[in-house]
Amino acid sequence: MTSAKSIQIILARQLANCVATPMLLVDDQNALIYYNEPAEAIFNQRFDETGEMPAAEWTSRFTAVDDDRNPIPPNDRPMGRVLAGGTPVSQSMWMRVSGGDWRHLHVTAFPLVGEKGQLFGAMSIFWAI
Amino acid sequence: MDVTLWGTRGSLATPGAATARYGGNTSCVGVIGRDGTVLVLDAGTGIRGFGMTIDTSVRRVDILLTHLHMDHIQGLGFFAPLFRADLEVHIWGPVSSHISLRERLMRYLSPPLFPVSLRELPCMITLHEVPCGEVAIGEFRVSSTLVCHPGPTVGYRITDAQGSVLTYLPDHEPALGSSVFPSLPLAWTSGGTLAAGADLLIHDSQFSAAEYPAHIGWGHSSFKDALAFAELSQVKHLVPFHHDPSHTDVDIDRLMHEAMAESRPSCRVTTALEGATFRI
Repeated sequence: MTSAKSIQIILARQLANCVATPMLLVDDQNALIYYNEPAEAIFNQRFDETGEMPAAEWTSRFTAVDDDRNPIPPNDRPMGRVLAGGTPVSQSMWMRVSGGDWRHLHVTAFPLVGEKGQLFGAMSIFWAI
Repeated sequence: MDVTLWGTRGSLATPGAATARYGGNTSCVGVIGRDGTVLVLDAGTGIRGFGMTIDTSVRRVDILLTHLHMDHIQGLGFFAPLFRADLEVHIWGPVSSHISLRERLMRYLSPPLFPVSLRELPCMITLHEVPCGEVAIGEFRVSSTLVCHPGPTVGYRITDAQGSVLTYLPDHEPALGSSVFPSLPLAWTSGGTLAAGADLLIHDSQFSAAEYPAHIGWGHSSFKDALAFAELSQVKHLVPFHHDPSHTDVDIDRLMHEAMAESRPSCRVTTALEGATFRI
């Protein structure tokens, strides 16, 4: 059973459902709570199959390196940086899921902040380079 | 608790013979607890009538505003108890990121829109911004969350000492952005946790299913979606509420009949009728 979601998170998911851009949504603990159909190609798996995943689980599914092929640990990837710093992050990187092909992507992530300044999570969008 | 509908109309007060049965006053619901606790849900034009029934022995009234659209606050200045110096009035309303609840209420309760300023009212007013977790008001426990409607808007879940639950979502569009509603579990549905298992759900049903597509994003539901939301939330009794100003009594009967025939909900359904009282 998933926990109740704030309206900010609910509307973010609704937005992701309505666009062709790959989008990924995490909560304030960096648990993956949703990715849309276009993002399923990046995950190489459908959201209906994976469901929500804790941070350690979903970040370990990816290998990420920067443009100089230096590994990017999970906390230094856009979602981790957004949740730690509370500000938007945009960076290019190479990513692949285990057994998959490398993809050159530009990732932009931004925090979802409520009226009282509370951090609900973050959203990221992926552009193929 | 006793729950009385003092105003059932949405958007604009709509008096006249064609709306006399379901009522023309805008949103206001009175809730009286067994211990005499008085809650007022929204301050549409229906609040005027409710105010006239509140006895002078009552020392505290709590007004729970879902949002500050005019049809939900227009009656505030005509709520007679506000003019009693011995009355404690607590007004609860949604938080905004930039402007305080007091400042936003004063935009209406001040000249030139209203002759009396909020600060000039004789009663003892305390303002509270919501959502703020669960709070105790008399015998009630009240929780609120932001819901899908333009501008900061909350719904309320009111639980009495016996565990009976009233959920109030008068302006609510949980279907927004969903190609097939309801397609997601309750935790992912706007207002879902407020309504879960409620004994009585008062819910937006402004449009017909045919009218809704032209009004997506306006923050209101169709009868059909209100029924679907009630089913998803497993409420016991749904009260479709916030009738469109263009709908006559005959229209509402027809729309309700059509939606019920199509949806066949398992819960009890009673279309909101001004003056109706429910005991839960």
